[in-house]
Amino acid sequence: MRRKRGITTLDVAVIVLILTGLAYLVYRTTVVIHYHWNWSVIPQYMFRYDDERGRWVINLLMQGFITTIKLSLWTTLLAVILGTVMGFFRISTSLFKRLTARSYVELIRNVPPLVLIFIFYFFLSDQIMTALGVEDFILSLSERTQKILAFFMASPGQLSAFLSAVITLVLYEGAYMTEIIRAGIQSIEKGQWEASSASGLSWWQQMRFVILPQATRRILPPIAGQLISTIKDSAIVSVVSVQELTFQGLELMSATYLTFEVWITITVLYFILTFSCSLGIRRLELSLHIEGTSFKASW
Amino acid sequence: MTFLAIVLVFAVTTSTYSASIQQDLVRESTVEKVMKRGILKVGMSTFVPWAMKDKKGDLIGFEIDVATRLAEDMGVKVEFIPTKWSGIIPALLTGKFDVIIGGMGIRPDRNLKVNFSIPYDYTGMSILAHKELAAGFDSLEDFNHPDVSIAARIGTTAAAAAKKFMPRAKLRLFDDESQAVQEILNGRVHAVIASAPLPAFQAIKYPDRLFLPLDANFTKEPIGFAVKKSDVDTLNYFNNWIRVVEAEGWLKEREHYWFGTKDWQGLIK
Repeated sequence: MRRKRGITTLDVAVIVLILTGLAYLVYRTTVVIHYHWNWSVIPQYMFRYDDERGRWVINLLMQGFITTIKLSLWTTLLAVILGTVMGFFRISTSLFKRLTARSYVELIRNVPPLVLIFIFYFFLSDQIMTALGVEDFILSLSERTQKILAFFMASPGQLSAFLSAVITLVLYEGAYMTEIIRAGIQSIEKGQWEASSASGLSWWQQMRFVILPQATRRILPPIAGQLISTIKDSAIVSVVSVQELTFQGLELMSATYLTFEVWITITVLYFILTFSCSLGIRRLELSLHIEGTSFKASW
Repeated sequence: MTFLAIVLVFAVTTSTYSASIQQDLVRESTVEKVMKRGILKVGMSTFVPWAMKDKKGDLIGFEIDVATRLAEDMGVKVEFIPTKWSGIIPALLTGKFDVIIGGMGIRPDRNLKVNFSIPYDYTGMSILAHKELAAGFDSLEDFNHPDVSIAARIGTTAAAAAKKFMPRAKLRLFDDESQAVQEILNGRVHAVIASAPLPAFQAIKYPDRLFLPLDANFTKEPIGFAVKKSDVDTLNYFNNWIRVVEAEGWLKEREHYWFGTKDWQGLIK
Protein backbone atom coordinates (compact mmCIF):
# COMPACT_ATOMS: atom_id res chain seq x y z
CA MET A 1 0.00 0.00 0.00
CA ARG A 2 1.37 3.43 -0.91
CA ARG A 3 1.09 6.32 1.45
CA LYS A 4 -0.35 9.56 0.15
CA ARG A 5 1.98 12.51 0.41
CA GLY A 6 1.28 16.23 0.40
CA ILE A 7 -1.31 18.27 2.23
CA THR A 8 -4.97 18.00 1.34
CA THR A 9 -7.68 20.63 1.84
CA LEU A 10 -9.04 18.58 4.74
CA ASP A 11 -5.67 18.71 6.55
CA VAL A 12 -5.59 22.49 6.22
CA ALA A 13 -9.17 22.76 7.49
CA VAL A 14 -8.37 20.60 10.55
CA ILE A 15 -5.23 22.59 11.37
CA VAL A 16 -7.07 25.89 11.06
CA LEU A 17 -9.86 24.56 13.30
CA ILE A 18 -7.41 23.43 16.00
CA LEU A 19 -5.50 26.73 15.91
CA THR A 20 -8.75 28.72 16.16
CA GLY A 21 -9.76 26.63 19.14
CA LEU A 22 -6.44 27.30 20.88
CA ALA A 23 -6.58 31.00 20.05
CA TYR A 24 -10.10 31.18 21.49
CA LEU A 25 -8.92 29.54 24.74
CA VAL A 26 -6.06 32.01 25.05
CA TYR A 27 -8.45 34.87 24.30
CA ARG A 28 -10.94 33.64 26.92
CA THR A 29 -8.32 33.37 29.68
CA THR A 30 -6.49 36.61 29.01
CA VAL A 31 -9.28 38.92 27.88
CA VAL A 32 -12.55 37.59 29.27
CA ILE A 33 -11.47 36.27 32.68
CA HIS A 34 -8.36 38.50 32.86
CA TYR A 35 -5.99 35.74 33.91
CA HIS A 36 -2.63 37.16 34.94
CA TRP A 37 -0.19 34.70 33.42
CA ASN A 38 2.93 34.43 35.51
CA TRP A 39 5.18 31.75 34.10
CA SER A 40 8.39 33.23 35.48
CA VAL A 41 7.96 31.70 38.95
CA ILE A 42 7.36 28.12 37.78
CA PRO A 43 10.97 27.08 36.85
CA GLN A 44 12.27 27.79 40.37
CA TYR A 45 9.84 25.21 41.72
CA MET A 46 11.51 22.59 39.57
CA PHE A 47 15.18 23.48 40.10
CA ARG A 48 16.66 26.13 42.33
CA TYR A 49 20.14 27.29 43.20
CA ASP A 50 20.99 26.46 46.78
CA ASP A 51 23.14 29.28 48.18
CA GLU A 52 24.18 27.29 51.23
CA ARG A 53 25.42 24.28 49.32
CA GLY A 54 26.50 26.26 46.28
CA ARG A 55 24.88 24.01 43.70
CA TRP A 56 21.61 23.41 41.90
CA VAL A 57 19.08 21.25 43.69
CA ILE A 58 15.67 19.90 42.79
CA ASN A 59 12.61 21.60 44.20
CA LEU A 60 8.96 20.69 44.90
CA LEU A 61 7.76 19.73 41.44
CA MET A 62 10.81 17.65 40.58
CA GLN A 63 10.71 15.96 43.99
CA GLY A 64 7.12 15.03 43.25
CA PHE A 65 8.10 13.89 39.76
CA ILE A 66 10.76 11.57 41.20
CA THR A 67 8.39 10.25 43.87
CA THR A 68 5.90 9.42 41.11
CA ILE A 69 8.59 7.47 39.26
CA LYS A 70 9.66 5.58 42.39
CA LEU A 71 6.05 4.86 43.27
CA SER A 72 5.33 3.52 39.77
CA LEU A 73 8.45 1.37 39.54
CA TRP A 74 7.95 -0.28 42.94
CA THR A 75 4.28 -0.80 42.20
CA THR A 76 4.95 -2.42 38.82
CA LEU A 77 7.69 -4.63 40.20
CA LEU A 78 5.62 -5.93 43.12
CA ALA A 79 2.43 -6.10 41.07
CA VAL A 80 4.20 -8.38 38.57
CA ILE A 81 5.14 -10.72 41.42
CA LEU A 82 1.63 -10.68 42.87
CA GLY A 83 0.16 -10.99 39.37
CA THR A 84 2.36 -14.01 38.59
CA VAL A 85 1.27 -15.83 41.75
CA MET A 86 -2.39 -14.99 41.16
CA GLY A 87 -2.09 -15.69 37.44
CA PHE A 88 -0.85 -19.21 38.21
CA PHE A 89 -3.69 -19.58 40.71
CA ARG A 90 -6.17 -18.58 37.99
CA ILE A 91 -5.14 -21.52 35.79
CA SER A 92 -4.51 -23.93 38.65
CA THR A 93 -6.29 -27.27 38.81
CA SER A 94 -7.17 -26.64 42.46
CA LEU A 95 -10.66 -25.19 42.85
CA PHE A 96 -9.63 -23.34 46.02
CA LYS A 97 -6.76 -21.53 44.28
CA ARG A 98 -8.96 -20.66 41.31
CA LEU A 99 -11.63 -19.28 43.63
CA THR A 100 -9.10 -17.23 45.59
CA ALA A 101 -7.57 -15.66 42.51
CA ARG A 102 -10.94 -15.07 40.85
CA SER A 103 -12.39 -13.41 43.99
CA TYR A 104 -9.35 -11.18 44.27
CA VAL A 105 -9.47 -10.07 40.64
CA GLU A 106 -13.22 -9.49 40.59
CA LEU A 107 -13.23 -7.67 43.94
CA ILE A 108 -10.45 -5.27 42.95
CA ARG A 109 -11.65 -4.65 39.42
CA ASN A 110 -15.18 -3.82 40.58
CA VAL A 111 -14.26 -1.27 43.24
CA PRO A 112 -13.24 2.29 42.30
CA PRO A 113 -9.51 2.75 43.05
CA LEU A 114 -10.26 5.91 45.03
CA VAL A 115 -12.50 3.97 47.44
CA LEU A 116 -9.83 1.29 47.74
CA ILE A 117 -7.24 3.93 48.63
CA PHE A 118 -9.39 5.40 51.39
CA ILE A 119 -10.22 2.02 52.89
CA PHE A 120 -6.61 1.06 52.82
CA TYR A 121 -5.18 4.29 54.15
CA PHE A 122 -7.59 4.93 57.00
CA PHE A 123 -8.35 1.37 57.97
CA LEU A 124 -5.81 -1.22 56.93
CA SER A 125 -2.52 0.62 56.66
CA ASP A 126 -2.60 1.83 60.23
CA GLN A 127 -3.22 -1.70 61.57
CA ILE A 128 -0.61 -3.28 59.30
CA MET A 129 2.08 -0.64 59.79
CA THR A 130 1.65 -0.74 63.57
CA ALA A 131 1.61 -4.52 63.66
CA LEU A 132 4.78 -4.73 61.57
CA GLY A 133 6.39 -2.03 63.68
CA VAL A 134 7.51 -0.21 60.53
CA GLU A 135 7.89 3.12 62.26
CA ASP A 136 10.06 1.93 65.15
CA PHE A 137 12.11 -0.10 62.70
CA ILE A 138 12.84 2.94 60.53
CA LEU A 139 13.83 5.04 63.54
CA SER A 140 16.17 2.31 64.77
CA LEU A 141 18.09 2.27 61.48
CA SER A 142 21.44 4.00 61.14
CA GLU A 143 21.62 7.34 59.38
CA ARG A 144 23.28 5.75 56.37
CA THR A 145 20.63 3.06 55.94
CA GLN A 146 17.98 5.76 56.27
CA LYS A 147 19.66 7.69 53.46
CA ILE A 148 19.77 4.63 51.22
CA LEU A 149 16.12 3.97 51.99
CA ALA A 150 15.32 7.61 51.21
CA PHE A 151 17.04 7.26 47.85
CA PHE A 152 15.13 4.16 46.77
CA MET A 153 11.82 4.85 48.49
CA ALA A 154 11.04 7.87 50.66
CA SER A 155 12.49 9.84 53.56
CA PRO A 156 11.84 8.29 57.00
CA GLY A 157 8.98 10.65 57.78
CA GLN A 158 7.11 9.80 54.62
CA LEU A 159 8.03 6.14 54.36
CA SER A 160 4.97 4.83 56.16
CA ALA A 161 2.64 6.77 53.84
CA PHE A 162 4.74 5.78 50.83
CA LEU A 163 4.56 2.10 51.74
CA SER A 164 0.81 2.12 52.25
CA ALA A 165 0.42 3.86 48.90
CA VAL A 166 2.62 1.23 47.23
CA ILE A 167 0.69 -1.63 48.85
CA THR A 168 -2.66 -0.19 47.73
CA LEU A 169 -1.45 0.41 44.20
CA VAL A 170 0.10 -3.07 44.08
CA LEU A 171 -3.21 -4.64 45.11
CA TYR A 172 -4.99 -2.59 42.48
CA GLU A 173 -2.56 -3.07 39.59
CA GLY A 174 -1.94 -6.69 40.63
CA ALA A 175 -5.46 -7.62 39.54
CA TYR A 176 -4.75 -6.39 36.01
CA MET A 177 -1.32 -8.07 36.00
CA THR A 178 -3.02 -11.34 37.01
CA GLU A 179 -5.24 -11.18 33.96
CA ILE A 180 -2.34 -10.25 31.66
CA ILE A 181 -0.28 -13.20 32.88
CA ARG A 182 -3.22 -15.62 32.81
CA ALA A 183 -4.11 -14.55 29.27
CA GLY A 184 -0.46 -14.83 28.20
CA ILE A 185 -0.15 -18.39 29.43
CA GLN A 186 -3.55 -19.43 28.09
CA SER A 187 -2.78 -17.94 24.69
CA ILE A 188 -0.17 -20.62 24.04
CA GLU A 189 -1.66 -23.19 21.68
CA LYS A 190 -2.92 -26.44 23.15
CA GLY A 191 -0.61 -28.35 20.82
CA GLN A 192 2.42 -27.04 22.67
CA TRP A 193 1.13 -28.53 25.92
CA GLU A 194 0.26 -31.81 24.27
CA ALA A 195 3.58 -32.10 22.44
CA SER A 196 5.67 -31.28 25.51
CA SER A 197 3.58 -33.64 27.60
CA ALA A 198 4.12 -36.38 25.02
CA SER A 199 7.89 -35.73 25.25
CA GLY A 200 7.65 -36.81 28.87
CA LEU A 201 8.10 -33.40 30.51
CA SER A 202 6.51 -32.82 33.90
CA TRP A 203 4.05 -29.94 34.37
CA TRP A 204 6.75 -27.71 35.80
CA GLN A 205 9.19 -28.60 32.99
CA GLN A 206 6.51 -27.85 30.40
CA MET A 207 6.01 -24.45 31.97
CA ARG A 208 9.69 -23.74 32.39
CA PHE A 209 10.99 -24.84 28.97
CA VAL A 210 8.05 -24.61 26.58
CA ILE A 211 5.15 -22.44 27.71
CA LEU A 212 6.73 -19.59 29.67
CA PRO A 213 9.46 -18.69 27.13
CA GLN A 214 6.75 -18.19 24.53
CA ALA A 215 4.23 -16.60 26.90
CA THR A 216 6.76 -14.09 28.24
CA ARG A 217 7.18 -12.61 24.80
CA ARG A 218 3.44 -12.01 24.63
CA ILE A 219 3.18 -10.83 28.25
CA LEU A 220 6.00 -8.27 28.31
CA PRO A 221 4.45 -5.56 26.10
CA PRO A 222 1.12 -5.41 28.01
CA ILE A 223 3.03 -5.37 31.33
CA ALA A 224 5.07 -2.44 30.12
CA GLY A 225 1.81 -0.84 29.02
CA GLN A 226 0.44 -1.37 32.50
CA LEU A 227 3.42 0.63 33.79
CA ILE A 228 2.01 3.65 31.97
CA SER A 229 -1.40 3.04 33.57
CA THR A 230 0.33 2.80 36.94
CA ILE A 231 2.05 6.15 36.44
CA LYS A 232 -1.31 7.72 35.69
CA ASP A 233 -3.17 5.88 38.45
CA SER A 234 -0.54 6.88 41.00
CA ALA A 235 -2.00 10.41 40.94
CA ILE A 236 -4.90 9.22 43.09
CA VAL A 237 -2.68 8.58 46.10
CA SER A 238 -2.37 12.36 46.38
CA VAL A 239 -5.67 12.18 48.30
CA VAL A 240 -3.93 10.39 51.15
CA SER A 241 -1.13 12.97 51.17
CA VAL A 242 1.63 10.96 49.52
CA GLN A 243 3.88 13.68 48.18
CA GLU A 244 3.93 12.72 44.51
CA LEU A 245 3.58 15.00 41.51
CA THR A 246 -0.15 15.74 41.76
CA PHE A 247 0.04 16.39 45.50
CA GLN A 248 2.96 18.79 45.09
CA GLY A 249 1.02 20.52 42.32
CA LEU A 250 -2.00 20.94 44.61
CA GLU A 251 0.21 22.27 47.40
CA LEU A 252 1.94 24.69 45.09
CA MET A 253 -1.39 25.88 43.75
CA SER A 254 -2.71 26.54 47.26
CA ALA A 255 0.39 28.54 48.08
CA THR A 256 0.81 30.55 44.88
CA TYR A 257 -2.71 30.61 43.35
CA LEU A 258 -1.15 30.04 39.91
CA THR A 259 -3.87 27.53 38.97
CA PHE A 260 -3.35 27.35 35.21
CA GLU A 261 0.43 27.53 35.19
CA VAL A 262 0.78 24.79 37.79
CA TRP A 263 -1.63 22.40 36.08
CA ILE A 264 -0.18 22.95 32.64
CA THR A 265 3.27 22.21 34.05
CA ILE A 266 2.01 19.06 35.78
CA THR A 267 0.35 17.90 32.56
CA VAL A 268 3.57 18.38 30.61
CA LEU A 269 5.60 16.50 33.23
CA TYR A 270 3.21 13.53 33.23
CA PHE A 271 3.18 13.54 29.45
CA ILE A 272 6.97 13.51 29.20
CA LEU A 273 7.07 10.57 31.58
CA THR A 274 4.36 8.44 29.98
CA PHE A 275 5.23 9.31 26.39
CA SER A 276 8.88 8.34 26.83
CA CYS A 277 7.67 5.09 28.39
CA SER A 278 5.43 4.37 25.45
CA LEU A 279 8.27 5.05 23.00
CA GLY A 280 10.38 2.61 25.01
CA ILE A 281 7.63 0.02 24.82
CA ARG A 282 7.42 0.37 21.04
CA ARG A 283 11.13 -0.37 20.88
CA LEU A 284 10.64 -3.37 23.15
CA GLU A 285 7.77 -4.70 21.03
CA LEU A 286 9.79 -4.32 17.84
CA SER A 287 12.85 -6.06 19.26
CA LEU A 288 10.72 -8.91 20.65
CA HIS A 289 9.05 -9.23 17.29
CA ILE A 290 12.38 -9.49 15.46
CA GLU A 291 13.74 -11.89 18.05
CA GLY A 292 10.60 -13.96 17.65
CA THR A 293 11.00 -14.28 13.89
CA SER A 294 14.67 -15.25 14.10
CA PHE A 295 13.74 -17.71 16.83
CA LYS A 296 11.23 -19.41 14.54
CA ALA A 297 13.61 -19.25 11.58
CA SER A 298 16.25 -21.13 13.51
CA TRP A 299 13.94 -24.13 13.88
CA MET B 1 -6.97 -5.65 78.80
CA THR B 2 -10.23 -6.11 80.72
CA PHE B 3 -9.19 -9.62 81.62
CA LEU B 4 -5.86 -8.36 82.85
CA ALA B 5 -7.62 -5.69 84.88
CA ILE B 6 -9.90 -8.29 86.54
CA VAL B 7 -6.93 -10.48 87.38
CA LEU B 8 -5.17 -7.47 88.82
CA VAL B 9 -8.16 -6.51 90.96
CA PHE B 10 -8.27 -9.97 92.45
CA ALA B 11 -4.56 -10.32 92.84
CA VAL B 12 -3.55 -7.04 94.38
CA THR B 13 -5.09 -4.34 96.51
CA THR B 14 -7.15 -1.55 95.02
CA SER B 15 -4.50 1.07 95.60
CA THR B 16 -1.86 -0.62 93.47
CA TYR B 17 -4.50 -1.20 90.80
CA SER B 18 -5.28 2.49 90.47
CA ALA B 19 -1.58 3.23 90.48
CA SER B 20 -1.08 0.95 87.51
CA ILE B 21 -3.93 2.62 85.60
CA GLN B 22 -2.25 5.92 86.20
CA GLN B 23 1.03 4.55 84.88
CA ASP B 24 -0.74 3.24 81.79
CA LEU B 25 -2.34 6.61 81.18
CA VAL B 26 0.99 8.36 81.45
CA ARG B 27 2.67 5.83 79.20
CA GLU B 28 -0.03 6.14 76.57
CA SER B 29 -0.21 9.92 76.55
CA THR B 30 0.84 11.58 73.31
CA VAL B 31 3.40 13.77 75.05
CA GLU B 32 5.19 10.72 76.48
CA LYS B 33 5.19 9.01 73.09
CA VAL B 34 6.59 12.12 71.45
CA MET B 35 9.37 12.40 74.01
CA LYS B 36 10.24 8.75 73.54
CA ARG B 37 10.26 9.02 69.77
CA GLY B 38 12.09 12.34 69.76
CA ILE B 39 9.85 13.62 66.99
CA LEU B 40 6.64 15.64 67.17
CA LYS B 41 4.45 14.79 64.20
CA VAL B 42 2.21 17.67 63.24
CA GLY B 43 -0.71 17.42 60.85
CA MET B 44 -1.38 20.53 58.78
CA SER B 45 -2.76 21.70 55.47
CA THR B 46 -1.80 24.56 53.21
CA PHE B 47 -3.67 27.76 54.13
CA VAL B 48 -2.02 31.05 53.18
CA PRO B 49 -0.52 32.51 55.40
CA TRP B 50 -0.98 29.89 58.12
CA ALA B 51 1.11 27.25 56.39
CA MET B 52 2.56 27.16 52.88
CA LYS B 53 5.66 26.10 50.99
CA ASP B 54 8.23 28.75 50.16
CA LYS B 55 10.52 29.01 47.13
CA LYS B 56 12.95 26.52 48.64
CA GLY B 57 10.22 23.97 49.22
CA ASP B 58 10.33 24.52 52.98
CA LEU B 59 7.19 25.07 54.99
CA ILE B 60 6.63 28.55 56.36
CA GLY B 61 3.72 30.33 58.05
CA PHE B 62 2.16 31.16 61.38
CA GLU B 63 1.29 27.56 62.26
CA ILE B 64 4.73 26.39 61.21
CA ASP B 65 6.33 28.90 63.60
CA VAL B 66 4.02 27.80 66.43
CA ALA B 67 4.66 24.08 65.89
CA THR B 68 8.42 24.55 65.46
CA ARG B 69 8.64 26.53 68.69
CA LEU B 70 6.49 23.95 70.49
CA ALA B 71 8.80 21.12 69.43
CA GLU B 72 11.85 23.20 70.35
CA ASP B 73 10.47 23.77 73.84
CA MET B 74 9.78 20.05 74.19
CA GLY B 75 13.33 19.32 73.07
CA VAL B 76 12.26 17.18 70.12
CA LYS B 77 12.40 17.45 66.35
CA VAL B 78 9.33 18.55 64.43
CA GLU B 79 7.96 16.76 61.42
CA PHE B 80 5.13 18.19 59.34
CA ILE B 81 2.68 15.92 57.62
CA PRO B 82 0.81 17.86 54.94
CA THR B 83 -2.66 16.38 54.79
CA LYS B 84 -5.78 17.20 52.82
CA TRP B 85 -8.09 19.26 54.97
CA SER B 86 -11.14 17.09 54.32
CA GLY B 87 -9.36 14.03 55.76
CA ILE B 88 -7.36 15.66 58.54
CA ILE B 89 -9.52 14.58 61.51
CA PRO B 90 -9.71 10.89 60.45
CA ALA B 91 -5.93 11.01 59.91
CA LEU B 92 -5.43 12.29 63.48
CA LEU B 93 -7.73 9.62 64.88
CA THR B 94 -5.93 6.84 62.98
CA GLY B 95 -2.58 8.01 64.32
CA LYS B 96 -0.92 9.50 61.24
CA PHE B 97 0.34 12.34 63.46
CA ASP B 98 0.22 13.51 67.10
CA VAL B 99 -1.53 16.85 66.85
CA ILE B 100 -3.25 19.11 64.34
CA ILE B 101 -1.71 22.58 64.37
CA GLY B 102 -3.37 23.91 61.29
CA GLY B 103 -5.56 26.86 62.11
CA MET B 104 -8.38 24.57 63.13
CA GLY B 105 -11.36 26.50 64.49
CA ILE B 106 -12.77 25.16 67.74
CA ARG B 107 -16.30 24.13 66.86
CA PRO B 108 -18.70 22.15 69.09
CA ASP B 109 -19.37 19.47 66.46
CA ARG B 110 -15.64 18.94 65.87
CA ASN B 111 -15.07 18.88 69.61
CA LEU B 112 -17.28 15.78 69.83
CA LYS B 113 -14.65 13.91 67.81
CA VAL B 114 -11.39 15.46 69.06
CA ASN B 115 -10.16 17.42 72.06
CA PHE B 116 -9.00 21.00 71.65
CA SER B 117 -6.40 22.99 73.54
CA ILE B 118 -7.22 26.50 74.75
CA PRO B 119 -7.23 28.98 71.83
CA TYR B 120 -3.82 30.29 70.75
CA ASP B 121 -5.28 32.57 68.11
CA TYR B 122 -8.57 33.96 66.86
CA THR B 123 -9.71 34.24 63.31
CA GLY B 124 -12.84 35.41 61.60
CA MET B 125 -14.69 34.86 58.37
CA SER B 126 -14.59 37.49 55.73
CA ILE B 127 -16.31 37.81 52.34
CA LEU B 128 -14.57 38.41 49.03
CA ALA B 129 -17.01 39.53 46.34
CA HIS B 130 -16.95 39.95 42.57
CA LYS B 131 -17.14 43.61 41.52
CA GLU B 132 -19.65 43.18 38.70
CA LEU B 133 -21.71 40.21 39.87
CA ALA B 134 -22.06 41.45 43.45
CA ALA B 135 -22.14 45.19 42.64
CA GLY B 136 -23.78 47.15 45.44
CA PHE B 137 -23.88 44.24 47.93
CA ASP B 138 -22.92 45.48 51.37
CA SER B 139 -24.58 43.21 53.93
CA LEU B 140 -24.82 39.50 54.64
CA GLU B 141 -28.53 39.65 53.70
CA ASP B 142 -27.61 40.74 50.16
CA PHE B 143 -25.80 37.46 49.66
CA ASN B 144 -28.58 35.34 51.18
CA HIS B 145 -30.50 34.97 47.94
CA PRO B 146 -31.18 31.90 45.74
CA ASP B 147 -29.59 33.58 42.71
CA VAL B 148 -26.30 34.09 44.52
CA SER B 149 -23.59 31.43 44.47
CA ILE B 150 -20.87 31.31 47.07
CA ALA B 151 -17.62 29.34 47.06
CA ALA B 152 -15.74 28.02 50.10
CA ARG B 153 -13.22 25.36 51.05
CA ILE B 154 -14.75 22.00 51.89
CA GLY B 155 -14.88 21.00 55.57
CA THR B 156 -13.84 24.43 56.85
CA THR B 157 -15.61 26.74 59.25
CA ALA B 158 -15.99 29.02 56.22
CA ALA B 159 -18.31 26.46 54.63
CA ALA B 160 -20.22 26.16 57.91
CA ALA B 161 -20.52 29.95 58.17
CA ALA B 162 -21.84 30.16 54.62
CA LYS B 163 -24.55 27.62 55.44
CA LYS B 164 -25.45 29.41 58.62
CA PHE B 165 -25.48 33.02 57.43
CA MET B 166 -26.56 32.53 53.81
CA PRO B 167 -28.75 29.42 53.87
CA ARG B 168 -30.62 30.45 50.73
CA ALA B 169 -27.57 31.03 48.56
CA LYS B 170 -26.09 28.24 46.44
CA LEU B 171 -22.94 26.91 48.07
CA ARG B 172 -20.10 25.50 45.99
CA LEU B 173 -17.33 23.66 47.80
CA PHE B 174 -13.71 23.26 46.70
CA ASP B 175 -10.69 21.36 47.93
CA ASP B 176 -8.73 24.49 48.69
CA GLU B 177 -9.00 28.26 48.62
CA SER B 178 -7.00 28.74 45.44
CA GLN B 179 -9.68 26.88 43.49
CA ALA B 180 -12.42 28.96 45.13
CA VAL B 181 -10.54 32.16 44.29
CA GLN B 182 -10.06 30.97 40.70
CA GLU B 183 -13.81 30.39 40.51
CA ILE B 184 -14.60 33.98 41.53
CA LEU B 185 -11.94 35.36 39.18
CA ASN B 186 -13.59 33.38 36.39
CA GLY B 187 -16.85 35.07 37.35
CA ARG B 188 -18.75 31.89 38.15
CA VAL B 189 -19.54 32.73 41.78
CA HIS B 190 -20.59 35.99 43.43
CA ALA B 191 -18.47 35.60 46.52
CA VAL B 192 -15.88 33.52 48.34
CA ILE B 193 -15.99 33.03 52.08
CA ALA B 194 -12.69 32.36 53.81
CA SER B 195 -10.79 33.11 57.00
CA ALA B 196 -9.27 36.57 57.21
CA PRO B 197 -6.83 37.82 55.94
CA LEU B 198 -7.13 35.84 52.70
CA PRO B 199 -10.07 37.83 51.24
CA ALA B 200 -8.33 41.14 51.97
CA PHE B 201 -5.09 39.98 50.31
CA GLN B 202 -6.94 38.83 47.21
CA ALA B 203 -8.93 42.07 47.02
CA ILE B 204 -5.65 44.01 47.05
CA LYS B 205 -4.19 41.70 44.40
CA TYR B 206 -7.12 42.04 41.97
CA PRO B 207 -8.54 45.52 42.71
CA ASP B 208 -10.24 45.72 39.32
CA ARG B 209 -12.34 42.61 39.85
CA LEU B 210 -12.70 41.83 43.56
CA PHE B 211 -13.73 43.84 46.60
CA LEU B 212 -14.61 43.42 50.27
CA PRO B 213 -18.33 44.10 50.75
CA LEU B 214 -18.18 44.08 54.57
CA ASP B 215 -15.98 46.36 56.68
CA ALA B 216 -15.12 43.70 59.23
CA ASN B 217 -15.12 39.94 59.74
CA PHE B 218 -18.60 38.60 60.37
CA THR B 219 -17.58 35.83 62.77
CA LYS B 220 -14.96 35.38 65.45
CA GLU B 221 -13.54 31.91 65.94
CA PRO B 222 -11.09 30.53 68.45
CA ILE B 223 -8.25 28.41 67.00
CA GLY B 224 -6.78 25.51 68.96
CA PHE B 225 -4.54 22.44 68.70
CA ALA B 226 -6.55 19.28 68.11
CA VAL B 227 -5.51 16.03 69.79
CA LYS B 228 -7.09 12.60 70.27
CA LYS B 229 -9.78 12.40 72.92
CA SER B 230 -9.18 11.75 76.62
CA ASP B 231 -5.51 12.65 76.77
CA VAL B 232 -5.40 14.89 79.83
CA ASP B 233 -1.62 14.83 80.08
CA THR B 234 -1.13 16.17 76.55
CA LEU B 235 -3.91 18.74 76.81
CA ASN B 236 -2.48 20.07 80.04
CA TYR B 237 0.96 20.43 78.46
CA PHE B 238 -0.33 22.20 75.35
CA ASN B 239 -2.64 24.51 77.32
CA ASN B 240 0.14 25.66 79.58
CA TRP B 241 2.59 26.00 76.71
CA ILE B 242 0.10 28.32 75.02
CA ARG B 243 -0.32 30.33 78.24
CA VAL B 244 3.45 30.71 78.53
CA VAL B 245 4.14 31.87 74.97
CA GLU B 246 1.12 34.14 75.09
CA ALA B 247 2.37 35.77 78.28
CA GLU B 248 5.76 36.25 76.63
CA GLY B 249 4.09 38.21 73.84
CA TRP B 250 5.61 35.79 71.31
CA LEU B 251 2.25 34.70 69.85
CA LYS B 252 1.17 38.32 69.28
CA GLU B 253 4.46 39.15 67.62
CA ARG B 254 4.26 36.13 65.23
CA GLU B 255 0.61 36.84 64.51
CA HIS B 256 1.45 40.40 63.59
CA TYR B 257 4.23 39.26 61.26
CA TRP B 258 2.05 36.81 59.33
CA PHE B 259 -1.33 38.54 59.41
CA GLY B 260 -0.49 42.20 59.92
CA THR B 261 2.39 42.59 57.44
CA LYS B 262 3.18 41.32 53.99
CA ASP B 263 6.94 41.05 54.60
CA TRP B 264 6.80 37.31 53.94
CA GLN B 265 5.37 37.64 50.41
CA GLY B 266 8.85 37.69 48.92
CA LEU B 267 9.47 34.23 50.33
CA ILE B 268 6.86 32.46 48.25
CA LYS B 269 7.07 34.00 44.80
